[in-house]
Amino acid sequence: MIRTLVGFIRKELTQTLRDPRMRILLFLMPAIQLTLFGVAISNEVKNIRLAAVFDSEDSVLRDIYERSIAGTWFIPAKSSQLDPFKLIQAGEADAVLVPPPGGFTRALGRGDAPLQLLVNATNVIQAQSVEAYLQSIVSDTVHDDLKSVSPDSSIRFDVRVLFNPDLETSKFMVPGTMGMLMIITTMVMTNLAIVREKEMGTFEMLIAAPVSSWEVIYGKTIPYVILGMSSLPLILAVAVFVFHVPMRGSLLVFFAAALAFICTAVGMGTLISTYCRNQQQASLAGFLILFPMIMFSGLMFPLENMPTAIRWLSQLDPLAHFMGLLRNIMLKGGEANYVIIHVASLVAMAVLSVIASFRRFHTTLQ
Amino acid sequence: MSSFVWRRAAAISKKEIFHILRDPFTLALALALPVFMVLMFGFAIEFNVKNVALAVSDSDRTQSSRRLLDTFGSSQYFLIHRVVSPYEATRDVSAETSRAALIIPPRFEKDLLAGRGAEAQVLVDGSDNSTVGPVLSYISSIQTIASRRIANFDPPKHYELRTRFLFNPELNSRWFVIPGLTVVIMAILSILLTALTVAREWENGSMELLLSTPVQPIEIIVGKLAPYGALGIIAVAFVYIIARTVFGVPFEGNLAVFGLGCLLFLVTYLAQGLLISVVTRRQQIAIQFAMVSGLLPSNLLSGFVFPIENMPKVFQYFTMILPARWFMRIARDTFLKGSSLLELSGAFLALSILGCFMILFATRRFKRDLEP
Repeated sequence: MIRTLVGFIRKELTQTLRDPRMRILLFLMPAIQLTLFGVAISNEVKNIRLAAVFDSEDSVLRDIYERSIAGTWFIPAKSSQLDPFKLIQAGEADAVLVPPPGGFTRALGRGDAPLQLLVNATNVIQAQSVEAYLQSIVSDTVHDDLKSVSPDSSIRFDVRVLFNPDLETSKFMVPGTMGMLMIITTMVMTNLAIVREKEMGTFEMLIAAPVSSWEVIYGKTIPYVILGMSSLPLILAVAVFVFHVPMRGSLLVFFAAALAFICTAVGMGTLISTYCRNQQQASLAGFLILFPMIMFSGLMFPLENMPTAIRWLSQLDPLAHFMGLLRNIMLKGGEANYVIIHVASLVAMAVLSVIASFRRFHTTLQ
Repeated sequence: MSSFVWRRAAAISKKEIFHILRDPFTLALALALPVFMVLMFGFAIEFNVKNVALAVSDSDRTQSSRRLLDTFGSSQYFLIHRVVSPYEATRDVSAETSRAALIIPPRFEKDLLAGRGAEAQVLVDGSDNSTVGPVLSYISSIQTIASRRIANFDPPKHYELRTRFLFNPELNSRWFVIPGLTVVIMAILSILLTALTVAREWENGSMELLLSTPVQPIEIIVGKLAPYGALGIIAVAFVYIIARTVFGVPFEGNLAVFGLGCLLFLVTYLAQGLLISVVTRRQQIAIQFAMVSGLLPSNLLSGFVFPIENMPKVFQYFTMILPARWFMRIARDTFLKGSSLLELSGAFLALSILGCFMILFATRRFKRDLEP
């Protein structure tokens, strides 16, 4: 039993790694992509083109504008026209401040001055943060310029952002992207390995050979678990050494969680392969499964607001579990209860998908 | 050698159409998948975070502190779901039973009545990027409400900032997500559809056969692109209908401009798939390559959720080689802003260049493979 299995594993590993391009795709590509996304993606709002319509006497609005430009968020828009709406429509500005007739400063003297802000809301999230930020700049500037002494409010909140106090995007993006990179290669690889054999007819031969179904299943899955795990140290090194994502939890727990996750990915890959007849189908099926996993992982969209039915569905997303685990282990040090629950869910999914694929194989054979 | 002959390209197309029709599973997936995904994510995705799980600890137990709790609880933003001790609060956030915690110190009401200004502590889970931003802005708006309600604190108002959100006045997440989602889904689907077409023929040996005929590489490329291009356009048309009817996304622009953009975009991505196919010649590697080059870059670097302006300068230039980035702009601007062809000329030019480049490159690689 063990000898057949070792033979299986050895054959599968040499076959996969024979092509140098596959070695690059497996080991180098995830590290490269992780670096790429880690550096590129940022939630810090930058380069918003701001325009303001004011004359030389409108000192308060000028102060507001200059203060905004002095920060990192805004850059001046090169305005070729005065109509604020057209400015945004033509894509020359993202936000425009429009004072009431006669200027904002003079209106302030009269009290209750309306200041209009036009924001391009084609990106909803960005528009909201731009509005909130300008609101605070306007409030501060008016406060300073009028030299009013009254404090802003009498109840204050001492807000502390735990685990990532400076809100560095890479600290949450990098752990999230790690999971995605791992599942894409591993799941697709396992799926294709089996479908290819089915397509070429060698799978039939395997069935005719004197090996048990379990040996076939183990022989087809264990090598990919090994391959998936072996790409992990390089990604982890990039995360910790290039992006300085802290590793507050234990490495052992981290690798255990990763192992559970990879087993799930391989198990699901195997299960999908039982439904596909050729590699074209396998690739589309891979997309069908992977895309929702990415969407429901919580990296791009908040999971909290999804309808209850979909939130339940996202419980079936191994990526969502793993992403939570990575963040919990790396950033928070790994809360025992949390880790156990989510690792257990991953293991359950892995076991279920292997059993289901075994049954599927079995029925196809008879 | 002879020049481009339409009849030969048409023959290749015809063969490819037979191939598509013979595999109904693939055909159904190619048509149904975009529709299914737009429906599912259209209903699921909501950026406006509500009911953030909040753990509270009230050591003051006075009328003021209870009213502060009430302000949080009735705000719709937060859902008070647990009462904890101050010590437990941090652990609760760490174990992700709560996203945020509110800790009211014992002297809260005393400080407030004494006119010193009262302070409460709020802990926010900073490990989740999709919620931390909105939560912080909710807290600052609750601060204003709480000050007014509990302390009767009404600062003199000198001005009023009136914001108009152009092109999406109600900040509807769906208007923002659905055009973008279409771009991302079609990008990946297109690459996957063609990534196997040439590699499969090499593996089956039918490519050798094809090469012994007078057909030219450019004819093979065009012949293989055309049917998948048609398939893609049909899929986008379905998605467009769903976006307009089910989700009520407005379409302010010119349908012809959007259609032209669509066509250019589909051809570019289909050609990228073909290029992958020509270069790899093995289906297994082609799929891996297609997944790696399609799935994450078009999701994360196209400006779908993470704006391109926030990226470092080098990466802003780098994203220019992604067709999805350009079509993202065309799709969003034709849907919401109603931009004209002239206003989008840059994006159209870039897409055309990328498309031509992919087709030319695929043809050249093909030619080189043929020569002994």
